[in-house]
Amino acid sequence: MSAEAPKQAAAALRFQRVTKWYGTIVALLDVSFDVGCEVVGLVGKNGVGKSTLMKLAAGLLQPSQGSVHIGPHAAGTAAARADLGFCPDVERLYENLTAVDFVAWMLRYHGFGRRAARDRAAATLQRLGLGDNMHRRIREYSKGMRQRVRLAQALAHEPRFVLLDEPMTGLDPVARAELSQTIRSLPAQGVGVLVSSHVLHELEAVVDRVVLVHQGRLLAQGRVGELRAQLPSQPHRLRIVGPRLRELAAVLVGWPQVAQVRVHDDAIEVSVAGEAGFYEALTRLGAGWDGGMHEVVPLDDDLASLFGYLVG
Amino acid sequence: MSAPRPLGFVATVVESARQTALRLRHHRVWTLVLLGAAVLYGIAWLVGYQVGRRTEADGVSAYCNLAWWLQATVVTPWLTLYLGVQALHGGLEDRTFQYLFLRPVSRVALLLGNWLAVGAVSAVVGAVGSCVLFAGMADNRDLWPDGPDWRYAGDFAAACAVAAFAYAAAAMAFSAYFRRPLVWAAFFVVGLQQVVANLPISAGLRSATITDPLRRFVLDRIEPNQRLARELWPAELNFDPETIGAPLQDLAWFVLVTLALGALVYARTEYDARARD
Repeated sequence: MSAEAPKQAAAALRFQRVTKWYGTIVALLDVSFDVGCEVVGLVGKNGVGKSTLMKLAAGLLQPSQGSVHIGPHAAGTAAARADLGFCPDVERLYENLTAVDFVAWMLRYHGFGRRAARDRAAATLQRLGLGDNMHRRIREYSKGMRQRVRLAQALAHEPRFVLLDEPMTGLDPVARAELSQTIRSLPAQGVGVLVSSHVLHELEAVVDRVVLVHQGRLLAQGRVGELRAQLPSQPHRLRIVGPRLRELAAVLVGWPQVAQVRVHDDAIEVSVAGEAGFYEALTRLGAGWDGGMHEVVPLDDDLASLFGYLVG
Repeated sequence: MSAPRPLGFVATVVESARQTALRLRHHRVWTLVLLGAAVLYGIAWLVGYQVGRRTEADGVSAYCNLAWWLQATVVTPWLTLYLGVQALHGGLEDRTFQYLFLRPVSRVALLLGNWLAVGAVSAVVGAVGSCVLFAGMADNRDLWPDGPDWRYAGDFAAACAVAAFAYAAAAMAFSAYFRRPLVWAAFFVVGLQQVVANLPISAGLRSATITDPLRRFVLDRIEPNQRLARELWPAELNFDPETIGAPLQDLAWFVLVTLALGALVYARTEYDARARD
């Protein structure tokens, strides 16, 4: 299935019918999607082609068929690389260099003079919380600090599009929150972002849309809520907390939209097979229910549930 | 503030060379150089001492043999190949090349910068090593009745410097092509070059090596007598200066062809897909 992607004024990244073979192994098959000035999450299990998609966009791999463009430029060309920042899922860095030397070195290739490159590298590292440690050698860094260095080299030259491959890896909760904030702020600066992560709930908090990849194919793309709504075969699950739960369960189980009701000690869990009229009826019931309903929470309206339904 | 124009080709070569040289510094090169210089000095002094105990003691012959068979054909090649592989192939193996390949600069320029830096560092080390060897040998005064002639140290320093850039080019090509470049380098240095050294002087395959033109370069500069020429070129029993040809030109062709092949592969290969192939 595929939800309609929102129309982008100008796609910053465009995959057009991209297929990639590694020898006889098909890594990606006929994948097409656009990313505009927004944050798009790339979701899929390990080995389904997420990193291949990232590397195709970065120009590190060439598509066997189809095309990838960064703005108007074919991926891999110098013009595309000038507009691109990539935070790869690579453990190693230049271990003997200091963070500021490394980022400044990368900036030199973008045409910054030595002093400008160093100033800009220092400012970027400062912004990412490495200000006190930027003059230490990278080999002395913790995993989280190394991840910030990777981010710094991706963002320092102010690219128009950023690819972030598992950027949350190794970060502590505070750093994750800061990074999420940084990512969220990029579209406002005119930067498009494609981000992959295994931490689905954190990814969901950051992205505007998701692209789900499974076994080398594009399984779905769109907003999480829209995609969830397009799965009528999967009943929605609700958790309701309130007084007289057994009585409430007995009422709900008689409704045609309700597929199943489970009664727990402190709540009931309702599976809703058809939403037509259900929520209106529930609202009316709650208004007249003696003692009221304390809590009505959807249990599977998130990315993790959607991912689970789609790929099993 | 928008980014300025990316570096041009020549500026990228220079920047890549500068960065490669800085990174090589972290491989404890200078510590190793100092240690190596002390060892070379000791070897040269010891060899000179042993040679000096013979009746037909000859400092020039002793130095030229030692400088050729140790410095020019063992130390300089292996040091250069090692540094070259570290500089280029190290990044391919640990995947840090991704950071470089994302920049809006030519991969060929990056490779040329690596070559230039490795060649320059090895040239300096090789040249200094030749002079240190001479110093060790010169300290045995019995070998030099008319005093040590430092011209020979200069000849071998030049030879090692030239050899360094040629071996650096070979290291770039091996690193770009192969997953185990040092193994292929061993085939080249120990295998191909040794086999070719025993081929007739007319064999065209000699041009595919570094040792052969380098030997002619050395012989051209030191103008040896027949005995020394035979010691340095055992396969050629009657050395004729007419056979020297144009060794620098041969080496230049070797460097050009090797770098072109290396650059072709380096610029086109999807290194990230290699593990999947």
